[in-house]
Amino acid sequence: MSSRSLRHRIAIVFVGLLVLVMGLVLALVHSSSARIVERETRRELAVGAKVFQRLLEQNQRQLETAAAVLSADFAFREAIATQDQPTVRSVIRNHGQRIHAQVMMVTGTDGRMIATTQRAMAAGDPFPFPDLLAAAETAGRSAGFRQMRSGQLYQVVLVPIMAPTRIAWVAMGFQVDDRWAHDLADVTGLGVHIVRPGTPGLLASSAPPEQRPALERALAAAGTDADVDAGGVHYAAVRVPLDGGQQAVLQLQVAQVRAPFGQLQGRLLGVIGAAVLVFALGSVMLAGRIVRPLNELSAAARRIALGDYAQPLPPAQGDEIGQLAGSFEQMRTEIASREERIARLAYVDVLTDLPNRTRFLEAFGRLTPGGGGAVLVVNIDRFALINNALGHLVGDRLLRAVAGQLRPLVPEGGMLARLWGDQFAFLLERADCAAARAFAEAVLAALRDPVTLDGQRLDIEAGVGIALYPDDGLDASTLLRHAELALAAAKRRHAGIAFAFDTGGAPAHEQLSLIGDMRRALAAGDFTLAYQPKLALAGGRIVAVEALLRWQHPERGPIPPARFIPFAEQTGFIREITPWVLETAVRQAALWHAAGLDIAVSANLSTLDLLDPHLGRRVRELLERHAVPARRLCLEITESALMDDPSLAQAHLDELAGLGIKLSIDDYGVGQASLAYLKSLPVDELKLDRSFITAITESPRNAAIVESTIMLSHALGLTVVAEGVETAAELRWLREHGCDIAQGYGIARPMTAAQLQDWLADFAARTTA
Amino acid sequence: MRAPFVLAAALLAGAAGAAPVEVLVQTPSGTGLADAAVIVEPLAGTPPRPRARVAAAIEQRGREFVPWVTVVQTGTSVDFPNNDTIRHHVYSFSEPKRFEIKLYAGKPGQPVVFDKPGQVDIGCNIHDWMEAHVLVVDTPWFARTGADGRATVANVPPGRYRLRLWHPLQKAAPAPGEIEVGDAPERLTLVLDARPHAPRPHAGDDPDQY
Repeated sequence: MSSRSLRHRIAIVFVGLLVLVMGLVLALVHSSSARIVERETRRELAVGAKVFQRLLEQNQRQLETAAAVLSADFAFREAIATQDQPTVRSVIRNHGQRIHAQVMMVTGTDGRMIATTQRAMAAGDPFPFPDLLAAAETAGRSAGFRQMRSGQLYQVVLVPIMAPTRIAWVAMGFQVDDRWAHDLADVTGLGVHIVRPGTPGLLASSAPPEQRPALERALAAAGTDADVDAGGVHYAAVRVPLDGGQQAVLQLQVAQVRAPFGQLQGRLLGVIGAAVLVFALGSVMLAGRIVRPLNELSAAARRIALGDYAQPLPPAQGDEIGQLAGSFEQMRTEIASREERIARLAYVDVLTDLPNRTRFLEAFGRLTPGGGGAVLVVNIDRFALINNALGHLVGDRLLRAVAGQLRPLVPEGGMLARLWGDQFAFLLERADCAAARAFAEAVLAALRDPVTLDGQRLDIEAGVGIALYPDDGLDASTLLRHAELALAAAKRRHAGIAFAFDTGGAPAHEQLSLIGDMRRALAAGDFTLAYQPKLALAGGRIVAVEALLRWQHPERGPIPPARFIPFAEQTGFIREITPWVLETAVRQAALWHAAGLDIAVSANLSTLDLLDPHLGRRVRELLERHAVPARRLCLEITESALMDDPSLAQAHLDELAGLGIKLSIDDYGVGQASLAYLKSLPVDELKLDRSFITAITESPRNAAIVESTIMLSHALGLTVVAEGVETAAELRWLREHGCDIAQGYGIARPMTAAQLQDWLADFAARTTA
Repeated sequence: MRAPFVLAAALLAGAAGAAPVEVLVQTPSGTGLADAAVIVEPLAGTPPRPRARVAAAIEQRGREFVPWVTVVQTGTSVDFPNNDTIRHHVYSFSEPKRFEIKLYAGKPGQPVVFDKPGQVDIGCNIHDWMEAHVLVVDTPWFARTGADGRATVANVPPGRYRLRLWHPLQKAAPAPGEIEVGDAPERLTLVLDARPHAPRPHAGDDPDQY
């Protein structure tokens, strides 16, 4: 729209200026030509009048000369001298014809006529123009325009007849008629009319007969004014007085003078019209040429604003707009590359070139609503151990290798991202439970291919947690969390694959009722603690127990901890449960202490508990209240709990350690925490995750990891606890490889405090036996 | 116009012999008028016959008539000798004597006899400017004023006379006066209003002009 108006504006300005200039030119020409016409008219009139007068003079002189020659004719004089009327009449008629004089009059020196060709006059009559006679007396001859009695106008020439003295006058009259006027009009180029002011009519005129009435009226109306309008035609005129009271009116038709100017103006108008047309076309074309690239630039700018940097600009010309387009093109490519770089930084994981977590969350946003889908979180087992044992560079290369193995699996419309560490996630569109499971199995199968790094073969195992959309959550972060919980569950169960819906990632309505149930359970005492013994491998003695939370639901029966503990952690309800657990565990420790049993009690702390600023104070008061030595209490913290806020976690751990409480890292090897980091914490104990211990006697790889971890932990002054010990062979292997403490079904299942006392007695009897 | 005619001559009348009449003709401005005719005519009786067959001549010289004015008694024959190398065509349309002497050189065969009194204007048909005037009078007593305006009419017998003046360029014919001629010469001073003769310009005197 604006481009159209720009084009129009250019055209309008150009054409408008031209029209203005041309209009001025035309006005100038018009006014000048009006002035010129006026001046030219006056000039032509003046010239014509001068010519007219000169002609009259010449005419008169010729007539005079002719008359003089005639009057000197001897025979003529002789005839006049006879005084014989018929003779004289005859001779004047004859000689008059010789010089084409229509009127001849011979007058004696006394002023009386001797003879005349005029019938109306007779000999003896006085000469009709005594003034001419008087003038001739002094000048020798005279001439003038005179009207005869008939009204006819004549140019009368009066010359003497000398013999050799003057014996008579002869007057010769030359008719002044329309033909005379025509002749003069032809020479002067003016209309010639002879009038006698005060009397109507034209005495002689060069005008055609049909124009005369109008002309006569106009001349009469004009009075003494020179210019007249006759019959709608404007004449400029000048009046030349003739002697004898007559006037010659010399007329010039103004239109006649104006005609060439009119023609000039007409042609000029034509040229201007053509010029305006050509200019309009030219300026529209020029404007088009200017505006078209601008439009293209503007369209390109809109495309760029919408984020489309791909389309290059049309090739530019060499002019200024071309330079602008060139700058624009350069800007486009630079913005495109910069945006690509930014997008890459923002959305791509630099290590593996896979999309990152942000990109993954965004991609989820583009998921077709109602179409269903699945989020799979894949985690490599024991990656931290590999990282620690083989170094970060190898760890990074391993991650790249894993990414390379996973990438080909990404289905159409799906996505693979690296969330953090060794955590990968798949987004599957339109995948139901069965499809997700099949895909997860394909993932695990792909990862089963060993990876060779620097000639060293690495066997990888992984866990997959699956959350389904929309059943397990409506947004990406909820789905990811549930998938991660499912992953944790899968790891715990060594199942390889776990779904969120059967790992506590229960449907929302069930979860809501679960909160209420937990609150009721806490009040009703439905929660209990079970204690699992921890065996010191060196001495073969039970040195500690781990307090584990159990829920006996009045209607549903026992609820597995994996079903409600992650949920309590998510909802924050764990903050109400943990004090109860600590209270119960410490009270039990006090009882055992009072009974003389030398057993430490371990309790688990969640992330939220660890971040509680009053944790240290509360634990101290608890110990004081029950008079339990601090070393009888051990608190177990998972790696992930430490990683949420490492500095605050460290501060609280320092406070707890200051009380003399033992601190233990739970599920070590699942997360990412490095030993170097753990070394900086006031930690006493490291609990190796059960996944490392399982089949330790059969997998040389697991054995190598556990062995190196034990060595490293000892080097750092940490006690190593092996979880999930199930067989005697494993127990033996651990003992042989220097593991400090073992825990698991292979030693004892969790049991009540009452059962424990009997079991301890029984165990003591067995070992000593 | 009578005033100028001072008739003091009457006092001298009574002289037995003939006496001359001496006249000074002046223009009104007082200068002498040449070529004026002074005519003395007897009041009674017929004038005598011409004293002799006097022949006058008006010759053509330098394409002019010489003299310009000639006064003759009636019956006088006048010759028109041509002294120029070119021919002349002398004519007169005047009533007292019409004649024409066509293109001639030298002396024409017949002189022209002026047999009627009156004024005869003579021209040349070839040369328009040439003019001569002949006054034919019926008296033997006449004279023509010279360049100084003086003229003497000789041998006028005593008696009463009418005295007349005439000039070709006079404005009007003056009224005649009367004189008494005695023995002693009459001396008169008369005034005549006339233009003095000025020869009209010739056309083409110089052959180079053609």
